[in-house]
Parts: sequence; C-alpha cells; structure tokens
Amino acid sequence: MPGPDDTEAPQYRAARLRRALAEDTRTAELGVQVTVRGEHVYLSGSVPSRQRKEELDHVLHEKEPGTRVHNDVRVVEAGEPGEPEVIE
Amino acid sequence: MIRIAAVGDVHLGEDAHGRLRPALERLPQHADVLLLAGDLTRHGTEEEARVVAAEFRDLGVPVLAVLGNHDYHCDEVSALTQILTDAGIQVLEGDGVVLPVGGLRLGVAGVKGFGGGFAGKCGSNFGEPEMKAFVGHTIEIADKLRSALDSLSCDTRVALMHYAPVPQTLHGEPPEIYPFLGAYQLGEAVDATGTDLALHGHAHMGSERGVTPGGVRVRNVAQPVIRSAFTVYGLEAGTGED
Ligand SMILES: [Fe+2]
Ligand SMILES: [Fe+2]
Repeated sequence: MPGPDDTEAPQYRAARLRRALAEDTRTAELGVQVTVRGEHVYLSGSVPSRQRKEELDHVLHEKEPGTRVHNDVRVVEAGEPGEPEVIE
Repeated sequence: MIRIAAVGDVHLGEDAHGRLRPALERLPQHADVLLLAGDLTRHGTEEEARVVAAEFRDLGVPVLAVLGNHDYHCDEVSALTQILTDAGIQVLEGDGVVLPVGGLRLGVAGVKGFGGGFAGKCGSNFGEPEMKAFVGHTIEIADKLRSALDSLSCDTRVALMHYAPVPQTLHGEPPEIYPFLGAYQLGEAVDATGTDLALHGHAHMGSERGVTPGGVRVRNVAQPVIRSAFTVYGLEAGTGED
C-alpha cells in the first residue's frame, strides 16, 4: 500500500485510509469517516470502546507516520436505557 | 403489553468482557425478551463469540439473535452459532420462534438480510455472475424471511434482521452506500406477513425510526444509534393474528 505523495488527490487518500481502517484486522471499523484537509486527517463516527478509538490512531500513524490525525470518533454509550417507546 | 429489548452492533472483541453486563443485570425489570440484531463480534472468531456468549447468557429473559456481516468475516458461522446456542442464545436464520409472554404469543423470525438497495435505486439480478450472486443472495434471504414470518402462529409478530428493510432508518449515512446497508425486498417480506415491528442494525450512523411502505414500524437498534446497552419497545396487543 503506497504512502502519501504530492500527486495523490485528497479524495483518493481519504478512500485509501478509510479502507485501511476497515480492512486492517486491528481496527475492522467499517463506519469510520475519513476526511482529508491538506496534511490533516479528521476521523468521525463511533466505536465501541476507548481502546478501539486509540487503535485507529495507531493504525493511521503506522501507515503514514507524518499525518496529523484529529480523532473525533465517539465512544458508544453502554448504559441502561431511558423510558421505553410504546408502539400501538 | 409485550416489552421487547433490542440492540445490534455491539461488536464485542476479545477484550470486551463485561462491557454491557452491568446494564444488563436488571434486564428482566425492563423487558420480556432480548433481541440481538447482528454484528455481535468484530471479526466473527470463536474467541469473540465466547465473549458474546458470556455477556448475554443467563439474563433471566429469552435471548434471540441474528448474525451480521462482521460475524461472517472469518467464515466460522456454524461454530459461532454453536457457541451462542450452548449459552442459551437462539440464533435465527430463516426461522422463527413463538414465546409465551404474559398470556400472549410473541412470534419472532430472523435473518441476516443483505444489501441491494431500495426501490428505484437498487441492483438487479442481471448481467455478470458476481452481480447475479449479490442480488440473488438478497432475494433468497428475503424469501426465507417471508416464509419464516408467515409460519408463525402468534398474536404479535416481529421481524429481526441485521440489514435495513427501509431507507428512512439509514438517514445520517452517506446516500451513496445505501445499497450496501439494506434492501427493499426485506421490507416487502415484512409488509406481506402482518408483521407488527421490524428491527435491524448495521447502519451505525443511521436513525432509529422509520416505517415500511405498508405502515409497519421499523427501528434501527444499532448501539451507536440508540446510545445505550439496549433499548425497549412496548408493543400493545398485536394486529397480526394467526
Ligand atoms: Fe455493525
Ligand atoms: Fe453490519
């Protein structure tokens, strides 16, 4: 898998990084959005735990050491629910 | 009233022991049954399935599940199913069960489902073998769902799947990927069978509430959408008779 270079359009770079997060078995996250703005990479979406969120940074830094990653991914809440919805 | 607890997309990894258990300890106070809408694991390994089994066993209410695409990733579906079954979790795929709940009969039929897209914006069973295999898989599963729902003798009928039967509950996902998130044929099966409620997961960025063209309520119970360990729907006496 090639690293970033001056000729790669940001859209292709975002697609490549997104696929990496989906297909790398350490992350396996299909629902994380990747947005590229120059040298900055922004992540959004949600994952089940803090470790899963940190693993995203880890994998991206390994693929592209120079990248500035902004990890805005949310850790999913796992508490008891509020009032039930009644469906008649 | 029948109280149905549901959650999908818990994506438990090997390090996830006990993540949901605290919120599940008082489940019988909230609900009569728990339905799991697929993507129970991260990669579909036996080790992860054992974590899922430990998390959802002995909860004091019946637990029914369908599997999701992540649970298929390592191609160990029969081993996964066995591990869950041994823990008392019934895995549905083209079949159903009827449970007695407070003098009523709750029928639940389940399938994984698949993609393909929604009316007017979907794939067709035409062309290359890969395309025919994709759409053919959807059609086969939707047919299985329809006959499983049809065969339930019950007062209230619930369809459980991983992929979405309508596009409304995908709202929040990029529209370009809707064909990978669900298929209208699943909604058709729900509408043809007097079903009272359809539950699905898979669309982590989608919305909770939708309705089929035939007026059946659809709920996306993916954990990132419901933002809790499970959510509960109270169903008044069903319209679905024998
Ligand atoms: Fe999922
Ligand atoms: Fe999924």
